[in-house]
Amino acid sequence: MTDMNRDLLPEGLEDRLPRDAAAETRITRAVLDVMDGHGYDRVRPPLIEFEKSMAGRMAGVQPRRMFRFVDPASLRTLALRSDMTVQVGRIAATSLAAAPRPLRLCYAGQVVTIKGDGLDPTRERLQLGAELIGADSVEAAGEVVALAIEALEAAGARGLSVDFTLPDLVDTLAAGPLPLDPAKVEDVRRELDAKDAGGLKAAGGDAYLPLLYATGPLDRAIAKLAEVDAGGALASRIAGLRAIAARVGGRARITLDPTERHGFEYQSWFGFTIYAEGVRGAIGRGGTYRIRSSGDGGVDEPATGVSLYTDQLLDVLADGPERDLLFLPIGHDAAVAARLRAIGWRTVAALSDKDDPRALGCTHMLHGSEPRTL
Amino acid sequence: MTKPLTFAVPKGRILDEALPVMARAGIVPEAGFHDKGNRALSFDTVGGDVRIIRVRAFDVATFVAHGAAQAGIVGSDVIEEFAYPELYAPVDLEIGHCRLSVAEPVATAGLPSAATHLRVATKYPNITRRHYEAQGVQAECIKLNGAMELAPSLGLSGRIVDLVSTGRTLKDNGLVETYEIMQVSARLIVNRAALKTDSRVAELVEKFRAVASGTSA
Repeated sequence: MTDMNRDLLPEGLEDRLPRDAAAETRITRAVLDVMDGHGYDRVRPPLIEFEKSMAGRMAGVQPRRMFRFVDPASLRTLALRSDMTVQVGRIAATSLAAAPRPLRLCYAGQVVTIKGDGLDPTRERLQLGAELIGADSVEAAGEVVALAIEALEAAGARGLSVDFTLPDLVDTLAAGPLPLDPAKVEDVRRELDAKDAGGLKAAGGDAYLPLLYATGPLDRAIAKLAEVDAGGALASRIAGLRAIAARVGGRARITLDPTERHGFEYQSWFGFTIYAEGVRGAIGRGGTYRIRSSGDGGVDEPATGVSLYTDQLLDVLADGPERDLLFLPIGHDAAVAARLRAIGWRTVAALSDKDDPRALGCTHMLHGSEPRTL
Repeated sequence: MTKPLTFAVPKGRILDEALPVMARAGIVPEAGFHDKGNRALSFDTVGGDVRIIRVRAFDVATFVAHGAAQAGIVGSDVIEEFAYPELYAPVDLEIGHCRLSVAEPVATAGLPSAATHLRVATKYPNITRRHYEAQGVQAECIKLNGAMELAPSLGLSGRIVDLVSTGRTLKDNGLVETYEIMQVSARLIVNRAALKTDSRVAELVEKFRAVASGTSA
């Protein structure tokens, strides 16, 4: 019983074997190339930070979801990152505080959570993202949505669908046109999130019922949202949504769900979720948010960003293009092999006479200075 | 995207009331669905691109939450028990009404209790735990799949949390309803991602919404 489980991986963690790892490399490179092309500079924050700096940077970040332990050096609590956006926020507010705005940063790295999310037991994910710091305007949101779509297309995702949301909508309405008992706000948000009409009535949110119907394809949903719009409090938001949608053009199907809050812990006026054909669940998520200042009278800074979680794309895309592999027999000319590698060949050198090129997956064999098909 | 939509319905209580509602929304199962001897679990519908699967109520929620079925019908008790974030319950079908309640033996019901720990037999451990946690009580839930009413008399637990419609079963087993946790009715449920990526799911929701508002008005 003891030794049998020695090689078991913990729940929600897995190895990426060559086929998947190669696909992951292609995806990461494609996404980062697109972001780099749009002027986003890559940063690489550390894997572990003080829990306090991870938790304090944005409202709504849950340190409970992080792996935490005590630092033997400082005796303070450390946390493994569960979302790199927070780290980029820290960088923007500290080391790059003096850098000109808008500041464009991108990143790629593994993130871990102490528990899986709902039905998905995965605890380690690859997060690829871009943050546009210093702006949360309609123009910034439009740039980030368009960038995310371009990056995912480059990575090979097809049939993209973008779902817009207005994360602070309920708070805005509750504070003005549709007054709500502060004690009830949480219940109303919960039932709106579950789209539970019966539950919403029971929670005392009758006035919010029309929001449930303002979901679906953008134009139809906006028309219904405009009907709810008591006193025009939402006019500027609706105009903003239309402008962002125009940026996307016809490259993705666009829907609106004004009360979606799943995965939007810290976003402010605008949020979006990206889905791709053949991928169960969301593949990317982003929106506008505020980076908290480091204190000392500093001011919060607006920002817009997107995080892509491309692990699920692997199932759809793992079979990459067939690649040639050249077998180098014992005693081959090393200079020739080096020259071939320089022009793009992949080679496998024999270690002994017993190596079988076919069994090792080779497609070609080197004869003298010439690769021949096996 | 020519794959048919999969619609999950629960076996038993709710199904008889759900079939007419489904029919008005345009989902009519093939004849074999009503044949008691038929062991199939998956059925075609008349003239639609919808496939119906018939599973246990709790499994309806699981199939839809995982996206294996795009939509289904299930009681709000099941939705609340799982609280899957992947589930939307956009339409209250106003059928299958009952309530989820605490019941205790007649002899001990109503006695003042200062317990901080209780044993409860139930099919709904999550709802039960949440209900008692809100009152500062640790509830030790004993998960049963049926015949909860036996538990108090055999000393398995002091009380039960179960669905009550007429209260007849409770009475016959010497129990009395002491607290109503929630009202239950059947809901149309859909998978979150399916609703956002497949326009047919949104159309289905619209149809059921029209049917439901027609019946309740």
